[in-house]
Amino acid sequence: MINVLLIVLLISLLYLSIANRLLTYIKILAFQGVILFGVALIELSEINTVNLVLILLETIIVKAILVPLFIKYIIKRNNMTREMEPFIPNFVSLIIVTTIIVITILLSNSITDTHLEKISFIVALSTLFTGLFIIGTRKKIITHVMGYMVIENGVFILSLAVGNEMPLLVNLGIMLDIFASVLILGVFVNKIGDVLKDVDVDQLRNLKD
Amino acid sequence: MFSETTTIIFQIAPSIYFASVVMAILVVPFGNTKGIISFNGDFVFFAYVLALGKFFSIISALDTGSSFEGMGASREALYSMFAEPAFFILMGSFALLTGHTSFVEIFSSLEFGTYITFTLGALATYVFVMIAMIENSRMPIDDPKTHLELTMVHEVMILDNSGFDLGLILSASYLKFAMYGALIANFFIGAIPLYFSIPLFLGIQFLFAVVVGVLESFMARFRMSHNPQFIFTLSSVTLLIFFGVLLVLKRFI
Repeated sequence: MINVLLIVLLISLLYLSIANRLLTYIKILAFQGVILFGVALIELSEINTVNLVLILLETIIVKAILVPLFIKYIIKRNNMTREMEPFIPNFVSLIIVTTIIVITILLSNSITDTHLEKISFIVALSTLFTGLFIIGTRKKIITHVMGYMVIENGVFILSLAVGNEMPLLVNLGIMLDIFASVLILGVFVNKIGDVLKDVDVDQLRNLKD
Repeated sequence: MFSETTTIIFQIAPSIYFASVVMAILVVPFGNTKGIISFNGDFVFFAYVLALGKFFSIISALDTGSSFEGMGASREALYSMFAEPAFFILMGSFALLTGHTSFVEIFSSLEFGTYITFTLGALATYVFVMIAMIENSRMPIDDPKTHLELTMVHEVMILDNSGFDLGLILSASYLKFAMYGALIANFFIGAIPLYFSIPLFLGIQFLFAVVVGVLESFMARFRMSHNPQFIFTLSSVTLLIFFGVLLVLKRFI
């Protein structure tokens, strides 16, 4: 069953690469949060019950509900336009994300360690690289934050893959999530909207000497 | 009573289109029973005979000499080009999974035991439904009710046909829907005895019609530049299905 959920996560990455509007990105992020809730529920069956309830609550509440609402509030408050502004056409980014997934599959196939769980490794690495790619090819600053969320999802999957042996690692992944949400989005709400009138990455170049 | 600018192609294209759809229907099996025509590799024949009908309808649209029809023909060719790898990779993956290359042998030896094969079946159904919507030029790819020529894709190709030819083209579109519904139903029928499989077949066709109706009523057409990306996403999804099949066979991963 975990393999099914992870394959659905990979497909959501493909739809992430052709999304046009900011709200579609947020919906896909919320959907990924729900899938991670399902994976955590099924995978982590041997750790402490209190720990498990904490992890599940965090996944479903922070990843799937709070962070999307927070980002929507920021978008409305800064009066950003609804469109995503990519540097490359959407079609090219779809081909690049497909190539990322194929290369990750070939890469994990040539690693012959018996302790490696193949599908979790493939999905985690693909999500990581796709998040990095999204950060690098979009103009708006808010999509940098959303790309970082996608990277965090990838790290979370990787920590879930070994979560039964090392439950501390899953807790660290959750701390990373909450840290990112509170710090980055808090800075966004308070500072960037007031100081920088444009939410365009090219304007950040004005900050250099 | 045909126009002066058209040649013989415009007069015979609707009949060839209809005939190609009928020939494609002859290949579709029903569970264990094979179609009227059945041989090894007949899913390739299926795809290419449909492509022949589409080719003739495209060149008949170019034949009329109207610029709108040429524009619609080029868009239709683009969408078919992107939807073709999706169909071939999908049927190829299932041929790889079962080891046979004929429609009837693939469908009768397909069984959904584990979770992974069930996911592959569900994904294949989704891809087939979207391919059916693309090939029949329905929402969310193409709006059949629009009256603005610049936004038409398939409607503008048949703008100059009328009378019996138009009837042939519209009937071919209905038959194509029934054909894709039969293919989707074949995924689930497998080797069930006849008194179960006939009501199941009718039930799945009805469900397919409901899904098409819901998609048609609640979705608006995508932006023209967004359509090729959406269709190519289907090909990427089938690539994932291919790797899933390799995973099931334990041949690669």
